[in-house]
Amino acid sequence: MRVGLLTILSLLWAFPAKADDARVNIHSARPFGYFVGDLIRARVEVTTSADATLVAASLPHPGPLSISLDIKAVEIHATMIGAEKRWDLDLVYQNFYVALDARNIEIPGFELRFGDETVPIPAWSVGVAPLREIAPAKQERPEDYLRPDSPAVFASETQPERLAITFGALSILVLGAVGRDRAWPPFQSRRERIFNALARELATKAHGGANAFPDAIQSLHRTIDRANGGALLGEDVCKFLARRPEFASLQPSFDRFYAASRSEFFSEDKADNYGFKELLDFARALARQERAQ
Amino acid sequence: MNEVSQSESKLAEWRERAIAFEQEIQKAVVGQDRVIRLVTIGVFARGHIMIEGDVGVGKTTLLRAVSRAMGGDFVRIEGTVDMMPGDILYHTYLGDDGRPRVDPSELLRLAETLPVFFFNEINRARPQVHSLLLRLMAERSVTAFNRLYRFPYLQVFADRNIVEREETFELPAAARDRFFMEISMAAPTDREARRKLVFDPVFQDVDTLLERVTPGTMDYREIGGVARRIQESVKASTTLESYVLNLWQGLTRPASVGISLPDVDVSMLVKGGASPRGLATLARAARVRAWLEGRDYMTPDDVKDVFFEVMAHRIFVDPIHTLRGDEPVRQLCHAVFEATPVP
Repeated sequence: MRVGLLTILSLLWAFPAKADDARVNIHSARPFGYFVGDLIRARVEVTTSADATLVAASLPHPGPLSISLDIKAVEIHATMIGAEKRWDLDLVYQNFYVALDARNIEIPGFELRFGDETVPIPAWSVGVAPLREIAPAKQERPEDYLRPDSPAVFASETQPERLAITFGALSILVLGAVGRDRAWPPFQSRRERIFNALARELATKAHGGANAFPDAIQSLHRTIDRANGGALLGEDVCKFLARRPEFASLQPSFDRFYAASRSEFFSEDKADNYGFKELLDFARALARQERAQ
Repeated sequence: MNEVSQSESKLAEWRERAIAFEQEIQKAVVGQDRVIRLVTIGVFARGHIMIEGDVGVGKTTLLRAVSRAMGGDFVRIEGTVDMMPGDILYHTYLGDDGRPRVDPSELLRLAETLPVFFFNEINRARPQVHSLLLRLMAERSVTAFNRLYRFPYLQVFADRNIVEREETFELPAAARDRFFMEISMAAPTDREARRKLVFDPVFQDVDTLLERVTPGTMDYREIGGVARRIQESVKASTTLESYVLNLWQGLTRPASVGISLPDVDVSMLVKGGASPRGLATLARAARVRAWLEGRDYMTPDDVKDVFFEVMAHRIFVDPIHTLRGDEPVRQLCHAVFEATPVP
């Protein structure tokens, strides 16, 4: 109970350092109980006015501070607290003092500069303790004091190997499927799925403005042109379907699309029985036929 | 009924007559539906038509059938190497009294009522004759006996033998440009049509064959008015106008629209032609084609359908390609249509 209370108190342990218009608080994880090699973590909170700017060069630099104390890491964060700014300086020290008895060592202070103003961070101390002695039974040979190495832990690689092979094979299969879909080498002889891309593009345009429908007709024309290898006019659709029989079943849709396109772009009487939905359905039907190849 | 709908109704009636005109010609000329359609377009665009092709494919029969179906008078002249312009204009003979006489030729006598002047094998005639023909085609008038003869209904139909080169005189570019269309005519490819032409006795006697064509399917005197009405009533949208201008750019500067042809340097291919007059003629022919298809607006299909026949003889390529005939121009036209997106 006492130990727990002490730990909580040590976590909250802090003391203020006075300054003209800045307040300094130093917190450390605990004020005592450090052995040689232990890391000592501390947070220095400096509260300044909101417009204060920290001069980064005044921060302590990682490296040896004394013969038995190093500073390992320095981090700074600024937080606005109401009309003030609080600077949190996280410091990590490492203790190399080999104590023969329990005593306090001093963590040296330093100064932080905020513009022209200098804020002193006071020195503080932590308690260090010696390592406990051990008393093994006397052995005749010095090597008998050594303990045998821990046996190597046997880890079965069978399952990871199987998983690696399975997932590797799956990855290759998926890559092959994607490559075939996108007509990457060695599937370059396979036609690119241009109607599939168009159907997705048109679906995003479906709720566009007044120009969405003519734009969509033009997009479909350009995609059909790509499939044909050159501009395809309405009266040449039969020749195109003879060359690309996979689309032959869609001839009525082709005829309706070209009739609607004629009305939209060349006639004064616009077709009112052909809308974006039918256009999108046609593009999707083309994509399905394309996918089936 | 207002004036506009009256005009529309009259045009629809004339379209039926034009279709009937085609059907009459098809009675005498089998397997040549496309050539007949092009000739019909030429008739209703009031353009002069040149037909060229191999020997014995039916060029003369076609033009005689057209003349008969159109009704009115008909004058035919055979081009020969020794023909002079006077032979076309004047009829010279010895009178009963043994004295030489010079009268107006048949062409001049029928000037006021002549719808068809058929010049057979035009490239056998000399350039002097071509010059007279150029005037006749461009102005529909000639001067003879110290007066002006006008030909208000005249359309010139000519055919050209492209096989023989001996004793022939190629038409200059300016004369070819006067022709509304140059239609290439080959033997039909349809097997049944070929069988008929070879074994059906009807096709052995041209005069008997032409009797199958009902004369005067149309009143030739009204064709001029109908042609004007067609041009006024068939509309071209801004999209179509833009398309035709893009085609024009593709023709004159093929490299600028990314056209490339095998074994041809397209940047050096076109040396001239494809003039504004040529493009205007193209629009005129496309309008008639749209009308024959039953529309009151033009589409890119109309333009494409008549493009080669209207434009090819107006495009002049580098002489280095001359020996390849019309193939480079055909390839260029095809490539221009493929490279020009629409709408």
